[in-house]
Amino acid sequence: MLKRLLAIMTAALIIAAIAVPGFAKDEIKIAYVEWDCAAASTNLVQAVLQEKMGYEVEIIPVAAAAMWQAVGTGDVDGMVTAWLPVTHADYLAKVKDKVENLGPIVGGAKLGWAVPSYVKAESIADLNKYADKFDGRIIGIDPGAGLMRLSEQAVKDYDLKLELMEGSGATMTAALSNAIKNNEWVVVTAWSPHWMFGKWDLKYLADPKGTLGGEEHIDTIVRKGLSKDKPEVYAFLDKFEYKDAVQMQTLMAWNQEPGADRYENAKRFIKEFPETVDSWLK
Amino acid sequence: MTIPKFPLGQIIETSIDFLVEHLSFATKAFSVALGSILDVVEDAMMALPPWLFILIAAALAYKLTRGSKGITLLTLLGLGLIWNLGLWSATVSTIALVILSTLVAISIGMPLGIAAAMSRTAYRLVMPVLDVMQTMPAFVYLIPAIPFFGLGKVAAIFSTVIFAMPPAIRLTCLGIKQVPPELVECAEAFGSNRWQRLFKLELPLATPTIMAGINQTVMLALSMVVISAMIGAKGLGGEVWKAIQRLQMGNGFEAGIGIVIVAIILDRVLQKVGAKR
Repeated sequence: MLKRLLAIMTAALIIAAIAVPGFAKDEIKIAYVEWDCAAASTNLVQAVLQEKMGYEVEIIPVAAAAMWQAVGTGDVDGMVTAWLPVTHADYLAKVKDKVENLGPIVGGAKLGWAVPSYVKAESIADLNKYADKFDGRIIGIDPGAGLMRLSEQAVKDYDLKLELMEGSGATMTAALSNAIKNNEWVVVTAWSPHWMFGKWDLKYLADPKGTLGGEEHIDTIVRKGLSKDKPEVYAFLDKFEYKDAVQMQTLMAWNQEPGADRYENAKRFIKEFPETVDSWLK
Repeated sequence: MTIPKFPLGQIIETSIDFLVEHLSFATKAFSVALGSILDVVEDAMMALPPWLFILIAAALAYKLTRGSKGITLLTLLGLGLIWNLGLWSATVSTIALVILSTLVAISIGMPLGIAAAMSRTAYRLVMPVLDVMQTMPAFVYLIPAIPFFGLGKVAAIFSTVIFAMPPAIRLTCLGIKQVPPELVECAEAFGSNRWQRLFKLELPLATPTIMAGINQTVMLALSMVVISAMIGAKGLGGEVWKAIQRLQMGNGFEAGIGIVIVAIILDRVLQKVGAKR
């Protein structure tokens, strides 16, 4: 039995050794995180590069830290979902000498704390009053996100008696969905564009001290050296931006339909907004 | 009197940066090679139409388990369900990743286990390292692995091997140590040297234990697939991770059940292979 196992392993190694040379394909690699905005834009970039420019593109869904790390090491060519100036500030600081920012693809992104519309609180300053109704908790996301850093600051600034819970984007939306089902009060750390605002009736709490930051924009980040290796791709990514937030949300709304295929929707976007797409390719 | 904080984290970060600086060209080359092997395995498996692949897998299961009807049926129905759920390519990619990780883990782990069984010094060196490998949270070395192995499957194989190799080493070592001393004396009385004793007596007798170790390695490799999806390993783990991030419980469970099916099939087949005839 063991002999046979050893024989199989040797055979596998020999086959592998023969098969190794010459399999590296020259293709564009783009990393993204499974957020709706990121997935929509990334599929759109992939569709334009493949359908319009004839490149081979691989899109790789990863964790946010891994995405930044990979652009920094030049392992992927770039990404179109950097939340700046605040959310991803920590990640950018780590790799800022190794990447190039090609500017925003859309503005008007926002960070804040959201509650279902039936909650009476209107401002973060009101939360202490209702601490019991909220079970003394603010539902947060991944501890690495800039939104969480700002939220911790907000707890200090407003001297809140509530505890900020760490989790992930998924646990936050699950907690929100559960609270809404049971008609309970809940406050979550939120950002838009996000599908939860389409799915439920939510409102942002006012932030009189401005701790949670102003507007965010979503930027394109590429590895240093892309302009030399692949000038065409670089030029396209440089020009790639939505006409306005509405255009981006249109694409995201298509992706929310049941059974939606993001790549097909990206192709639909190319069909329905030809002027926008042409302006990227000029 | 305050004792300043020992800069452990800084030391580790500096050493990792140093290693990236001076080693990553080698690990990158290795990563390209391993990546193409994985592509070949995956492409070969994808080239077969699913129904044919399922039939071959069932026939293999039948042969390896020496005619167990239950396991053969489980393979047919289980893989059929995966195909029906539209998870075929994700599953093939996961199976390829697990097989390759297991092969790498065994080809490093078995020699180490044999060395640990044959020499006290090796045993003392290897055991604490195994403790670290089994308990160090995978998340800790997942992101630092990117500069060395790039994003995606090779980095995933690396972290899977670290996590899944210890049982292969431990059980190889244990199996050899459990060979009855009377038999060892007998072998020596017949004038066999150390290598003859190892290959003709100890390894054959230790085979069931070693197979149990390999089985554990496969199972641990499967339990890493969701974590490795965080660095772009895709496959079934990627489907699970995608679904939980998007709050699609149904899809999450579908892909999760896919992982369970693959795990049960591999486990049962390997158990039968390892069992004494």
